[in-house]
Amino acid sequence: MTTITPPLAHPSQRARSTSLSFGGVLRSEWIKLRSLRSTTWSYLIVIAISLGMALMMSLSMASGMNGGADASGMPAADQLTLVVQSSVFGVYFGQLVAGVLGVLVISGEYTTGMIRSTLTAVPKRLPALAAKGVVLFVATFIVGLIANLGAFLVSSMAFAGIGVTASIAEPAVFLPLLGGALYLALVAVFALGVGTMIRSSAGGIAAVLGLLLLLPMVLQMIPAEWAHDLVPYLLPNAGMNMFTSTTAEPTADGFGVWLNLLIVLGWMGASIAGAAVLLKRRDA
Amino acid sequence: MITAEGLVKRYGAKTAVNDISFTVRPGQVTGFLGPNGAGKSTTMRMIVGLDRPSAGRVTVNGKPYAAHRAPLHEVGALLDAKAVHTGRSAYNHLLAMAATHGIGASRVREVIELTGLESVARKRVGGFSLGMGQRLGIAAAMLGDPATLILDEPVNGLDPEGVLWVRQFVRHLASEGRTIFLSSHLMSEMALTADHLIVLGRGEIIADAPVADIIAGGTRPRVLVRSPHSSQLADLLAAPEVAVIRSEAGVLEVTGVAAAGIGDLAAQHGLAIHELTPLSASLEEAYMALTADAVEYRTEAVR
Repeated sequence: MTTITPPLAHPSQRARSTSLSFGGVLRSEWIKLRSLRSTTWSYLIVIAISLGMALMMSLSMASGMNGGADASGMPAADQLTLVVQSSVFGVYFGQLVAGVLGVLVISGEYTTGMIRSTLTAVPKRLPALAAKGVVLFVATFIVGLIANLGAFLVSSMAFAGIGVTASIAEPAVFLPLLGGALYLALVAVFALGVGTMIRSSAGGIAAVLGLLLLLPMVLQMIPAEWAHDLVPYLLPNAGMNMFTSTTAEPTADGFGVWLNLLIVLGWMGASIAGAAVLLKRRDA
Repeated sequence: MITAEGLVKRYGAKTAVNDISFTVRPGQVTGFLGPNGAGKSTTMRMIVGLDRPSAGRVTVNGKPYAAHRAPLHEVGALLDAKAVHTGRSAYNHLLAMAATHGIGASRVREVIELTGLESVARKRVGGFSLGMGQRLGIAAAMLGDPATLILDEPVNGLDPEGVLWVRQFVRHLASEGRTIFLSSHLMSEMALTADHLIVLGRGEIIADAPVADIIAGGTRPRVLVRSPHSSQLADLLAAPEVAVIRSEAGVLEVTGVAAAGIGDLAAQHGLAIHELTPLSASLEEAYMALTADAVEYRTEAVR
């Protein structure tokens, strides 16, 4: 074999109109999220759980009250609370699905080897993680909002039977519905960080479900004051309190909306920061 | 153009790649050859930044891979046929990869056509055969129409038709002036595809030369001699620089003397010769000779 003569036009000298951009990585991550069945299933389950739980809660609360007699004489604030409580009840279960989805978004790439394709296309790595986080946050927030609005409609219809009503125009109604969706989105991003650190589906899901379900129970069982003091700082506790708090500022009973949101953001931030450090440092 | 300088990769106490330096030039196919565990895949992963070198550096067209504004336009890499999410269709996989660089759906359709994946593009990758996975990997590598292609074992799992396709494909790409860096453990395949070879053994470069030079230099030419007087002939041939092996009754394998010399010697002594065949060394033999000391996982000969 002889030496190849110099070619006519070197491919690298051809004009190229496209390059790597964060907008492109965002689009890529959106294509990835929507092209997997696990995403569709997870989001459908979140919506189904919300609607189902709202229906169960509202029907049982409505029939439990005065044996189903007319309750329209109840103070308007109490009526609101009833409808809202049953509307966001599903979030407690929805957070588990959002957590599993958040882990799978990245662990699925590690278990299949896709991560090597991803990091070859985005060799600086952190934009890929950021784009995953943004896409997951937005999609989960929108799905959470649809689920909560649906749950509100279902609850309103069930409570209408006993004359209990709530208007969605009231901040005390729409803020918890928005807050519940926000919490689901933040849990999903938190789980994305855990999945990135653990890199395995089984391990990541176990860790996230352990944090959401097991840790609060374990701490409550420990017969020590410090354990009980820690409980409100846990992710699911602060998360649920974030949108069920009746006050914005801390009170004697609880942290209020903003402090709880801050705690949830802290959990998410710690998880994503750990993920970013490890993703940047480890070999893929 | 790929340039590695003093590249080292250690995993704990084990050194996978030990201080290697090489250049892969445009316009030709450079083969990357070595036994399993020699460090070929590790080296290729370091080129595209998936593994961080323990020491040294490697650049593509003058810059580290990650420093390029459009990495997929610089380098297309097939490092692992199944670096694809099994739950996604081939089309969506390529579309997602392309989107990072703003490459449109029309280019995605082009590479699907180029690699003959039209009929399975909408199917989920989980059901793909190894051969289809290789084609998808090559399609992904071609998305950015890159000047440099890195292909790790691209013919692995392909049927003969697929092997031929890859061979012609990479030769064509090299003729366009691209840099092609191709690893394989199939030496015969390398002989047909590569112009230049870098041979790796135990993480070190043991040869870096044109294919023809490696074949010529790897083993000394031998001559097969068949004669009823083989033992007499062997005694006559005996000299310090000559090696004679009696492979079977009446047959000698002679190294160090040309066929003409053996024939003349036999004629001088009136010994009949039934066969006199120069044996040209194959790349396979050259490769075995080169890597004899560098095989990581040696199979003990059955006795």
